[in-house]
Amino acid sequence: MWHGIDMYSLVYSFGFVPCACEHQGIVDDQFTQLRKLEDENSPHFVMEVASLFFEDCEKLINNMAIALEQKQGVDFKQIDECIHQLKGSSSSIGAMRVKNACIAFRSFSDGQNREGCLRCLQQLSHEYSLLKNKLQTLFRLEKEIVAAGGSIPRVH
Amino acid sequence: RKRQLLTEIVLRNRLTALVVDADTTCRVLEQLLLRSYGVQTQGVDNGRDAVTLIASGVKFNLIIIDMILPILNGLEATRQIRDMGVHCKMLGVTACSGESERQAFLAAGVDVFIEKPLDPEHLVPILRELDG
Repeated sequence: MWHGIDMYSLVYSFGFVPCACEHQGIVDDQFTQLRKLEDENSPHFVMEVASLFFEDCEKLINNMAIALEQKQGVDFKQIDECIHQLKGSSSSIGAMRVKNACIAFRSFSDGQNREGCLRCLQQLSHEYSLLKNKLQTLFRLEKEIVAAGGSIPRVH
Repeated sequence: RKRQLLTEIVLRNRLTALVVDADTTCRVLEQLLLRSYGVQTQGVDNGRDAVTLIASGVKFNLIIIDMILPILNGLEATRQIRDMGVHCKMLGVTACSGESERQAFLAAGVDVFIEKPLDPEHLVPILRELDG
């Protein structure tokens, strides 16, 4: 034990969380490749980029929710633009299930199917929440390891 | 091991790249990826700023450009950059995945069309080629 903190458990969990995420398809190999790029010069690069992604994703989901609620008619072009942007950013960070949810969403948006879009938005929100929860756990573990005087095991 | 070798590189020359993407996450990620290989980068979030920067005389070894951009889209920005006589390597990196988009981007002047994400396996061979 180290100052009452079980360093072994922290480090074990830190390794387990991303493996579990990849196994469940929440993230794909792109995420692993990005983590490999972290080093002494940019030790928190993934956390910083993930924070940008969370901010953008929430804004886009919110914009789509508002667009789908418009009584005077849904602007499916706006929906399409949001899905396209989110598909790009989610694939870039390796958020596989969010990306797949965007692909499914696209087909309903192309068909101008409001009910289908609402279901897809719900699914997308669910996948996003799951991803955010898992990544925030990972980043919290990272901070706890550093605060306890440990070093972050790097991905190779 | 082969995959690891594909993504490892030590550049001998200082390369420069411009990243043109309206999405902050993508633009920052692509710049960080390039910087991790020692490439000096600049980023802009629309096609007009990209054209203006190139027209001002700034030279890059590599331009990474998205298709959907505000103010001036990626296709038109690419055409205008090529019309200026710029022959550097241009990668069209986009979330668009259709064959028609691919053909359009190539016809506009990009050398390579890559569906997002831009990953080391795509990027490293290109950096090796640019590094000579």
